[in-house]
Amino acid sequence: MNAAFWDKLQKVDRRVLYVVLVVLTSIGLFLKAEIPVAVDDSSADFYAKLMKIDPNKPVVVQTDWTISTRGENMAHLECLLRILMTRKIKFVYYSATSDAPAFQVATDVIRHINEERKAMNLKVYERGTDYIGLGLFPNAEGANESMRNDIKKAWGGRRVRMPDGNETDIFQTPVLKGVNSMGDFGLMVVVTASDTIDFAVQRLNDKVELTGMATGVIAPGMLPYYQARQLKGFAGGLKGCYDMEYMMKHGINHPEEGGKIYVNAGKIVGEVPPLGSGKDLARATQYYADLHIALSLLIFAVVVGNVAMFAQKKAKKGAE
Amino acid sequence: MELLAQARLTFFGMTPNSPELWVKIIVTFILGLGVMFAFTKAPIRARRMIVFSFTFASGLFYILLWLWPVAVAREPGTLPNNAVEGVAFWLDDAVPRIADVAQILTAFLLGLGIMSLLTVHTQRIRRKAQDWKYSVLLMVSLVTMVGFGYVDWIQKKFQDPQGKLLEMANWGPVQYGQDLLFDGAYQQMEAAMFSMIAFFILSAAYRAFRVRSVESTVLMASALILMLSLMGALDFIWTTGINNLVAQTHNPFLDNFKISEVAGWVKSTLQTPSIRAIEFGVGLGAVAMGLRIWLGLERGGVSA
Repeated sequence: MNAAFWDKLQKVDRRVLYVVLVVLTSIGLFLKAEIPVAVDDSSADFYAKLMKIDPNKPVVVQTDWTISTRGENMAHLECLLRILMTRKIKFVYYSATSDAPAFQVATDVIRHINEERKAMNLKVYERGTDYIGLGLFPNAEGANESMRNDIKKAWGGRRVRMPDGNETDIFQTPVLKGVNSMGDFGLMVVVTASDTIDFAVQRLNDKVELTGMATGVIAPGMLPYYQARQLKGFAGGLKGCYDMEYMMKHGINHPEEGGKIYVNAGKIVGEVPPLGSGKDLARATQYYADLHIALSLLIFAVVVGNVAMFAQKKAKKGAE
Repeated sequence: MELLAQARLTFFGMTPNSPELWVKIIVTFILGLGVMFAFTKAPIRARRMIVFSFTFASGLFYILLWLWPVAVAREPGTLPNNAVEGVAFWLDDAVPRIADVAQILTAFLLGLGIMSLLTVHTQRIRRKAQDWKYSVLLMVSLVTMVGFGYVDWIQKKFQDPQGKLLEMANWGPVQYGQDLLFDGAYQQMEAAMFSMIAFFILSAAYRAFRVRSVESTVLMASALILMLSLMGALDFIWTTGINNLVAQTHNPFLDNFKISEVAGWVKSTLQTPSIRAIEFGVGLGAVAMGLRIWLGLERGGVSA
């Protein structure tokens, strides 16, 4: 092939690339399939932690994302809620970000999961008795420092409307009764699309067991905390969430029919069972095929771009 | 010193709609407006001093909180034994209050943003500047979204004690309107804006990501390994192949060539130390900048 061809290939109209991207990723959305996967250590630790915590202790969920990262974070939060609700673990959630819609977005996700559970004849979580929403704290650092100092003062005086219609102090509800400090929570999970997890680690990691779920962009920043055991586990990006869904279906070191073990995580001692009821393979599975397509396209684009560059150089040299 | 410790019922946790709460809200609002007005009338030199004083006091609080001996095993109602413990108690009690102030100040940024938006776009509409119709659209969208949001909140807060409106089956026109605007329009547009990045990434990968130097080659190789490790299907096929090879050759060394192993090595041996080093650098920079602002050496930080 001559230099003109490679030159043409290098200067291909960007709109062609855009069309290829739209077409291929649109096809990917319809390919919901269970793809065998080697789960990350961090995801396996996170799943094991969620499945082993005391169901009588509530969990704190800090949800700091909005819809721009829903591909990853909505899947994260849904996955977390399914595990908590199936294990009948009570939880309290709030947003600690200056991104104002974060709390509303999380509230909508809880409503969706409740509707899903209702359709499956599973227990629906009730505000006040099973979970509490604390609202938006626009300053993450201040909120976490205050929680570290004294949880009763940090959230003091807040009330929640119970299913019977009466307003009750949150610390008198079944969710937070008996909670006097962060140490009384079974776990804290930060679902985030920004650096708010840094503040949680800085302020709270010695007070409560801390875990996280973050976008693929933020996840590498969580690795130093995970290696230092300041984070007990985390699900990073869509892959991390797919790992979770895969483990929700197959467990860890859990033999299924014929003794086959789907997730063989040597790092986890013993067996962690699958979730058992409710949805397991959900949003992350829906998007995982698309991630394959998008990444393949990206790799293909880089390879073709470079091959074209070298071939063009070679062709030009040959012509000289 | 114990005043803060005794204030179990905070301003924000008082009985809703109680006359006492309304009086406090109105008084605080008027006082706040008065203080803000006074600040705007202060001469430039005084403004600098005010900003510096607030900055110094805030910094001093957190430095004391960090360095001052902590009150150990303090029980509710305990009185301090000496001045050192008294300061420790005071700091301990003040943290939630300071955090509340920080929350409110951060929330003010939203109000400030709306005020600025209204000022700029009102002027554009009044002057009929270029594309002023978009400013009208923006104002209408802002008012509509706020209106639906507030009515929805009022209905849920005051007219729905049983929490029935939490279920979609019980929604009224306001909830459907709010959902249409927030979930149906705003969120979809935000997602669409964010997803545009994909187009730029693909275009840049095709046109700009070139192997022209050793650095770019290393970058490309690591990126390729990490991208491949995110593709579970490929990783699975590759791992199965390696497992078969190990079984045939009885050479466990080959296990090191699994994509997940190589990616794990890149992440734990190259990526994590690099991030740690960068964060150390950023941390040192933040300390230096924090000190400059706290001590009023950074003119940009304290000038009004």
